[in-house]
Amino acid sequence: MTARRRILGLDEKQRFMIALIAPAVLALIAFQIVPILAGANASFRDWSLHDPQKTWVGLKNYLHVLGDHDFLTIVLPNTFGFMFASVGLSLVAGLMMAMLLNRRFAGRWLVQTVILLPLMVAPVIAAIMVRWMFNDQFGVVNAILGLFGIEPLAWLTQRWTAFFAILLTDVWLWTPWFTLLLLAGLQSLPPEPFEAAQIDAASPWRTFRYITLPMLRPVMVVCIVIRSIDAFRTFDIVWTISGGGPARATEVFSIYAYVEAFQFLNFGRGSAAAIIGAIIIVVFAMLLYRILNRWVEVSK
Amino acid sequence: MTRASRVPAERSKGFFEALAPGGRRMLFGLAAIGVCLIFAFPVFWLVLTALRPGYAVYYVHRGTDFTLDNFLEVIVQEAVLKGMFNSFMISTLATVISLGVTVTSGYMLSRFKGPIPNTWFSLIYVFRCVPYVSWVLPLYFVTQSLGIFDTYWGLLLPHVAVHICFFSWIMKGFFDGIDPSMEYAAMIDGCSRWGAFWRVAMPAAIPGLTALAILCWLYTWNEFLFALILTSHQTQILTVVMAQFVHELGMDWHLMSATGVLALGPALIVTIFGQKYVIRGLKV
Amino acid sequence: MAELVITNLRKSYGNVVAVADFNLEIADQEFVVLVGPSGCGKSTTLRMIAGLEDISGGTIAIGGRVVNELQPKDRDIAMVFQNYALYQHMTVYDNLAFGLRNRRVPETAIDEEIQRVSRILSIEPLLDRRPRQLSGGQQQRVALGRCIVRNPAVFLFDEPLSNLDAQLRAQMRLEIKELRQRVPTTAVFVTHDQVEAMTLGDRIVVMKDGLVQQVGTPLELYRRPRNRFVASFIGSPAMNFLEMRAETAGAGMVLTGLGLSLAIPSRFAPGLAARAGRSVVVGVRPQHARLGVASGDDHVGLSGRLMVTEQLGDEQLLAVRIGSGDFRLAGIDPERVFAPGETIAAAIAIENLHLFDSETGAALR
Repeated sequence: MTARRRILGLDEKQRFMIALIAPAVLALIAFQIVPILAGANASFRDWSLHDPQKTWVGLKNYLHVLGDHDFLTIVLPNTFGFMFASVGLSLVAGLMMAMLLNRRFAGRWLVQTVILLPLMVAPVIAAIMVRWMFNDQFGVVNAILGLFGIEPLAWLTQRWTAFFAILLTDVWLWTPWFTLLLLAGLQSLPPEPFEAAQIDAASPWRTFRYITLPMLRPVMVVCIVIRSIDAFRTFDIVWTISGGGPARATEVFSIYAYVEAFQFLNFGRGSAAAIIGAIIIVVFAMLLYRILNRWVEVSK
Repeated sequence: MTRASRVPAERSKGFFEALAPGGRRMLFGLAAIGVCLIFAFPVFWLVLTALRPGYAVYYVHRGTDFTLDNFLEVIVQEAVLKGMFNSFMISTLATVISLGVTVTSGYMLSRFKGPIPNTWFSLIYVFRCVPYVSWVLPLYFVTQSLGIFDTYWGLLLPHVAVHICFFSWIMKGFFDGIDPSMEYAAMIDGCSRWGAFWRVAMPAAIPGLTALAILCWLYTWNEFLFALILTSHQTQILTVVMAQFVHELGMDWHLMSATGVLALGPALIVTIFGQKYVIRGLKV
Repeated sequence: MAELVITNLRKSYGNVVAVADFNLEIADQEFVVLVGPSGCGKSTTLRMIAGLEDISGGTIAIGGRVVNELQPKDRDIAMVFQNYALYQHMTVYDNLAFGLRNRRVPETAIDEEIQRVSRILSIEPLLDRRPRQLSGGQQQRVALGRCIVRNPAVFLFDEPLSNLDAQLRAQMRLEIKELRQRVPTTAVFVTHDQVEAMTLGDRIVVMKDGLVQQVGTPLELYRRPRNRFVASFIGSPAMNFLEMRAETAGAGMVLTGLGLSLAIPSRFAPGLAARAGRSVVVGVRPQHARLGVASGDDHVGLSGRLMVTEQLGDEQLLAVRIGSGDFRLAGIDPERVFAPGETIAAAIAIENLHLFDSETGAALR
């Protein structure tokens, strides 16, 4: 039987528990906690490449970011607008795909594989594909528009059209994710309420609205919250499609932080921006979760 | 009492019911085909562009010249070759190490109760929500001061750290679904706690682990931000190489597309072969 | 009129036949129970009546109309499911109103009807709650209410009491019977529990492996089972079965085997003579065996070693070893004390013996 000695005040079971998580704890501390603390530290210092003194300046960096006109009127609205639009569109599209895939039909395997195609494409590659398709001289989108007699648009050099291309990429990338999770949710619904609805003369639309949707709400809430957090920190596709341009018009929060740190080489301000963003998203996620949960509770 | 509801009241026929069954099926079929086209189109277009020689890039959709020269030209470029190799190594190593470190963590969270697991769980939960960019900037300095910037370790360890939170949580879910009585039986039969874990619990979790390994590999292969910030010229990663091409190459879209197809290749292979393992493994 | 006529109904999944050759005529306001072990096809039959399963062959007619091709909503039926199938996120009131609203019945009429029905079922205080806040019994009453509100031609019940605990089940059985008196409607009730079948049904249909074994009133099924399966299924504790051989003995027959010899005068079983020399299965209900020695030619006697007694308070059950199996007796005086291994003699009136063909299981008289 196991010895009941206590080493360092811990018995055998506790030693085992700690041994199990020791490597993970070390990695977490070294490469997640320490960097975050270092980042927090840097955010309070005047730290740029041309002034390696790293003098303590308190909240100066934070105030600078929060007072930055571009940050408040362009970057934050861009980020939140992108988040709402992308999550909203992907959710609706994903729901439609999931309903489509929920019934058995010939060739379903093929449709399913195609719909899941975007999941394995790197966001960077998707961005490259979109950038090529929306190329103003040789892109296929302008070519198709030309067939209808519409003038070619300079997609990526104007704010809203560039935004549209970025949004399209994100929706293309993430609709399959929603589809998968919503489909799993649909397939786990019990069949009896639907049979009762059949007997109760509910039309397909009424069945969807009053029975399917309410039962899917818990899954949808989880999807929305996770995806919203991710959408907030989008970097890859914006960077590749527009670089945040033209003239920072499509800049989102993570690009703002990156630019401050690695292009303006002001690490103090970059870290402050990163932490401000972190606080914003954590608070927003908690609020979102609470609101959506109340929505689900009421429906219960 | 009224027998009003005895005779089913008339309902106006909805749009779908007005269609004959054949019509309904055709609408459905059209929708399915439309959906397929939309999702497959960008990839199709990329492959098509990659197969067209340089001068035909201006009218990709017309013209009939096809060539594989683009691939040949691209694949001999040092950046691409190294990028593919490094990405492959990093993806594989990151997957193996992440799984190795988190499987014990998830097991511990599943099988034990008390202050230690609770603290660990809360820690994980909090750090799962922190956005990447908040610590990737300072990671730049941490890896530099540790001397591992722009090396394998410099990229691997942060990846592993990021996965810890998410994977521990998922692994906990796997082990929650495995009956612990087998492990108790093993311990009564003479196994140590570690033995019970390694010989009884782990094998039962293999389907889930396989699914997670595939997803982790794909995620790391496609990852961009960490690679961008934590590597430079020594350790080139394919996604970063491609992004640089976009900003530098400008007009050589046929070469860009060829690189893109090359980058998609391994992901496609892994997805096709791994699909059924992923579905099976996550069906807990 | 809402009689339900089922003719030659068949259901097959590929090569597997789930229901074969089902024929039944149910009169208006009659309560019929389909009963049988799981997999016997009773639920499939019910779902075909409801329109939730396609029909492979035969016809179903409700109130004179053939409904084979009709959608469930057009068949004028209502159904109670095993797990209630209430709409979880709607209030009880909305659950009851849903079907009527879909049929564009005016709200005032709906409200009147819901009030009336919730009075009958005593669920008025629950109208604002959601199903999750109700107990199992309350949820089942709401499910019943949802059906009554629709005023259908036929009620269908798919094992509605199977999810309730034993005590609640007994109580709901009474409530369903009382409900029947207030709302007499043609009904088809599916269950695997023979007690429910016996207590609720005007007539019972016993099914096994997709085939109808017997149709009759509870008493008919109890007294005159048409085959061994029905005999073993109906009645609790289950009937005892003895494998014996029929031999001619003078003017009558004698059944031998298991160390027993039962003399059957010909007036009791004229057809038995044809089975001379063949094996016969004798069925005896535990309640029909009386302690004591048989006297007179209208009784036969058994004896065996006592193995186990079970005390039920108002009676005792005995298990007596005969041959290689246990023969059970019921209704024994609970005060009487027995010694283990004691030899027990029992007498059975010959008219209470059931005789079955040992190959087909069909009743011989």
